[in-house]
Amino acid sequence: MLSVSCLSALLLHTLERRMADAGNKESAPIGGDEFTNTELENNKNNTMVEEGSTLLRRMEISVAEAEKRTGKNTVNMQEIFTVYLIETRPIDAITEGHNPAPDSLWRRYSEFEILRNYLLVTYPFIVVPPLPEKRAEFVWHKLSADNMDPDFVERRRVGLENFLLRVASHSVLSNDKILYHFLTEEHRWKEVVYETGFQAKADSRIKALSATFRVKNPDKRFTEMKHYSDELQSLTSQLLRVRARVADRLYGVYKVHGNYGRVFSEWSALEKEMGDGLQSAGHHMDAYAASVDDMLEEEEHYADQLKEYLFYAEALRAVCRKHELTQYELETASSDLISKKQQREELATGMVRTFSFKGMTNKLFGQETPEQREAKLSLLEEQIVQGEETVTEKTVECEEYVKGAWVDMQRFKEQKDRDLREALIGYAVMQISMCKKGIQVWTNAKECFHKM
Amino acid sequence: MSAGTPKSLASSGQKPIQEICHPLGAEETASVLTPSPDVGNTITSIGGKDLSLPNGTPVETSSPASSSSHLNRLQLDDDLDGETRDLFVTVEDPKKHVSTMETYITYMVATKTTRVEFDLPEYSVRRRYQDFDWLRTKLEDTQPTHLIPPLPEKFVMKGVVDRFSEEFVETRRKALDKFLKRVADHPVLSFNEHFNAFLSAKDLNKRLGLALLSKMGESVKYVTGGYKLRGRPVEFSAMGDYLDMFTQKLGTIDRIAQRIIKEQSEYQVELREYGPVYTTWALSEAELQGPLEGVASCMANCSSALDELTQDMSEDFLPVLREYVLYIESMKIVLKKRDNIQAEYEAKLEAAAFRKEEKASCTQVPTDVEKCHDRVECCNADLKSDWDRWQNNKRQDFRQLLTGMADHNIQYYEKCLAAWESVIPLLRDKQPQETETEED
Repeated sequence: MLSVSCLSALLLHTLERRMADAGNKESAPIGGDEFTNTELENNKNNTMVEEGSTLLRRMEISVAEAEKRTGKNTVNMQEIFTVYLIETRPIDAITEGHNPAPDSLWRRYSEFEILRNYLLVTYPFIVVPPLPEKRAEFVWHKLSADNMDPDFVERRRVGLENFLLRVASHSVLSNDKILYHFLTEEHRWKEVVYETGFQAKADSRIKALSATFRVKNPDKRFTEMKHYSDELQSLTSQLLRVRARVADRLYGVYKVHGNYGRVFSEWSALEKEMGDGLQSAGHHMDAYAASVDDMLEEEEHYADQLKEYLFYAEALRAVCRKHELTQYELETASSDLISKKQQREELATGMVRTFSFKGMTNKLFGQETPEQREAKLSLLEEQIVQGEETVTEKTVECEEYVKGAWVDMQRFKEQKDRDLREALIGYAVMQISMCKKGIQVWTNAKECFHKM
Repeated sequence: MSAGTPKSLASSGQKPIQEICHPLGAEETASVLTPSPDVGNTITSIGGKDLSLPNGTPVETSSPASSSSHLNRLQLDDDLDGETRDLFVTVEDPKKHVSTMETYITYMVATKTTRVEFDLPEYSVRRRYQDFDWLRTKLEDTQPTHLIPPLPEKFVMKGVVDRFSEEFVETRRKALDKFLKRVADHPVLSFNEHFNAFLSAKDLNKRLGLALLSKMGESVKYVTGGYKLRGRPVEFSAMGDYLDMFTQKLGTIDRIAQRIIKEQSEYQVELREYGPVYTTWALSEAELQGPLEGVASCMANCSSALDELTQDMSEDFLPVLREYVLYIESMKIVLKKRDNIQAEYEAKLEAAAFRKEEKASCTQVPTDVEKCHDRVECCNADLKSDWDRWQNNKRQDFRQLLTGMADHNIQYYEKCLAAWESVIPLLRDKQPQETETEED
């Protein structure tokens, strides 16, 4: 598990990457070598010397640009879609003083989705970072809900980069081969990922997540975590809804002040001495009304941060549910085993412990032959052996799951506390800036009124 | 004007009027009424700020803090050709009176003066709206060529407005105060005998009877005079045009201000739902609990700051704006009266010329015509000087009004800024990490 200081450093790195613009455009490709499993293992071991090393330590990643493309979709119809440029550079080369051009490839949103689904299925005990929203939601009136809107595309680009950085800095996820291919192999990647057979697992996962079953001995910590994830989901979505309405109203307040600009201008034409002061004040009112657009656009960044955790809550919930499922399977296997053992005992001793229909019919219609009983017994023995194996497997599976999931949930909790604190600070800073601008404009207007 | 035991206001559990901290509160009133060396001489402002209306209306009549420096703010207005101020009038201390017949509000009218036309240097009388209305009518009748400042609206719809609410009474008091100050400020109107009576008479009703009824008839004639005007001097046409356009602008500003208040209220509604979500969220969190609650309380502060802004605009801004529309109406009436006087003169002049043709000598007619001519000249002169004065006052009033609007907004943003700035250290301050629970 990464130490807090490492995480902070990575977060800082992430923030810096986010703030920096697109990388260089010189040309010097990274070697497209594929890492074998052993090599990856070695890499992991080697780099484990430096605690908590991840892909991001070795490679600079960014989603530099977005472009529109046209193409045929699955039903052979023309469509317009957006592709995003992923750029990567080895950090070694940079620190050694070279300045290689980044490797790059284009990916569309749906490919990111495939990658994420693969990760969800392959690492069910990890709270997998979410993608930015597929469609614009929680929009306030003036913002468009259009996926082609340039502001939306830009925010999505940032969100996709954020996703990659989070995944590439995760102690477990960052070592995934498919992830590496996603970042480096433009064309064959889809085939490779489908070859893993994750799609089938993905389908059953979805079924499992929505299934209802009762766990006899739930792990309290996971139950609490699941409950928390529900709260987080409900609260963040409520917050986002209300925030959008607040933004709407604030927009209205500012824009109406623009009318003052017009009427002051008209009025100033009627006046002699008061004219200049009025006219200038009117300009300030116009500026005031116009200022709200930028301010609210900036606030969208805060909304995006909240959205990320809205979706994170879903991922967290899935981890808890998967635990429940695993636990349930273990319990089912255990009780199956117990009932099989009981059956064996009954057959062996002839004593009926539990009521069974078979037992009743036997009594009514006559017992079976010794040969039949022998056959049944040996079958049961086999099943019991299998059952015991299954129970052992499931127990191990459960224990490992719990271990891995608990570690990642703790990591997630710390990350969440950090990120949301930063988000709140950012929000407060935005509000402060807005207040200062307000004071400035009205002070300017006041000076103009004074000169009337 | 009996002062029965003042009763508390019944409506909506608001504070009784006499408990309201008034701009000139009890202590202040005493200091205003006792003759001091300052009052009666020219007073320059402290700090050189042009803060007040010509007759010393304080800028912030609503905040108790400013009232303590009320006297300090009285200032010689440079635009009034260096007049020495020797008459100070204020309207304060509204009280509710309940009798079997009716319930009404009276206001204390306090006067300080060194003028010889007054018997005493100080007066303190109680007047009700009716009395102000009487005064205005009398001034209109006796000074037909002058612009009389307007009164606040007489009638209020009983269902819509609470006549005894704190806000309504205070708004009205401010307007009445302004009315008297404008009259006291006027070089001609302030010497009017009815104004004197209004300020000084113990019982106004007695003197009502002696009304100069004869003059009443004339005023009616002036307004409804059936003479047709031939050639209005350009300057008066220009005045009329200006007033028309200005009224329009004021109407627009009024609508905008109302719209802003409405939008702010709707913003407020959403804001009131927004903050509490953070509070609810805080309950589910451990380390984030402090920051989230901090944000929630910050928003609550911003919300109440917005309340204050909206209220200030409703109480300070809109009424003054509306009162100016009334002022303009009065001005238009004066212009019309002037037109009538001129028309009358022109008609008489024409008639005289016609008669002169018929009879060779007729001495009486020219005198009559001359009188009319004098009246016209007088009226024009009065009107011109009143117009200049009005323009000046208008400039000052709007400067004050708009500056006040800017101030209210600045204060609002300053309050919000303070709230958000104070929450930043709370957000940054990390609590000591809790120890992790053991894994299974």
